[in-house]
Amino acid sequence: MAARGSFDPRAALAALERNYVDYVVIGGLARVLRGADEVTDGLDICPLCSAVNLDRLGAALGELGVRGRGRGSGLDAKLADQPVVGVTTEAGALNLIASSTGAANGFVDLRRGASKEDLGGGLRPLVASTGDLARMAAALGRDRDLARLRELRRIMELEVGREPIVGGAPASSPATGRRATRSPRISR
Amino acid sequence: MRPETVKSAALIREARLRAGLSQELLAERTGKSRPQIARWEAGAVAPSLDTLLDVVRACGFDLPLELQPLVARRADRLAELQQLSPERRLERMLARAQAAGQR
Repeated sequence: MAARGSFDPRAALAALERNYVDYVVIGGLARVLRGADEVTDGLDICPLCSAVNLDRLGAALGELGVRGRGRGSGLDAKLADQPVVGVTTEAGALNLIASSTGAANGFVDLRRGASKEDLGGGLRPLVASTGDLARMAAALGRDRDLARLRELRRIMELEVGREPIVGGAPASSPATGRRATRSPRISR
Repeated sequence: MRPETVKSAALIREARLRAGLSQELLAERTGKSRPQIARWEAGAVAPSLDTLLDVVRACGFDLPLELQPLVARRADRLAELQQLSPERRLERMLARAQAAGQR
């Protein structure tokens, strides 16, 4: 594992997967995975805020060296109080976002359009759709978000225009979350 | 959805959802039919520019239109990134972050 603070998204995602946490990747890493041209140094996720899932999340955070975040660590109360709970893990910064402007019901809203993306090593996290990422950027409305919004809209156009991914399996369009009609093909 | 209808579809859906309107309510406000709103949002057809502006304004937003120089290089890069798998996009980003950290 990387030294504390250095960004290792695969290690963070692997800990979440090992503990069967239900979550959607959002924020900078999600935009990068959808094809945005940016660099990010933290992982933003929108977890399902059920007691069982937050217990699993607490266990994953414990594995990532976050003190006081083992099972039963009171994450539910913290996420109910704060829009963003940020923690520093051995795999870098991790932001937990229960609900966001543009996705008021959090995980439930985002899961519909999200798709599982293959990141190698058996990692297949659920990543928010480009459309949902654009909606969140638009709703935040800061200058940097508006620049991202233009880029995300361009990506949506490109996603619809290109042949979608995922070897052999029926793919959904990341732009809309709807099933794609063309055969999947992409270079690796 | 057709590539030439993506932008208007996303804009209408985004404006409607941010305004908290159903397709029916938006149809009422704009004097269009609900199936028409649904077709626009699905990207089956695109409204004219003037109609798009009317629909967005009916949701309480404006859509400023101004000419800006096209940043072709950035657009090309986005098109290239679309040809990579998410795994490769992640690797590329991590390599760039590492290179930036070494500078």
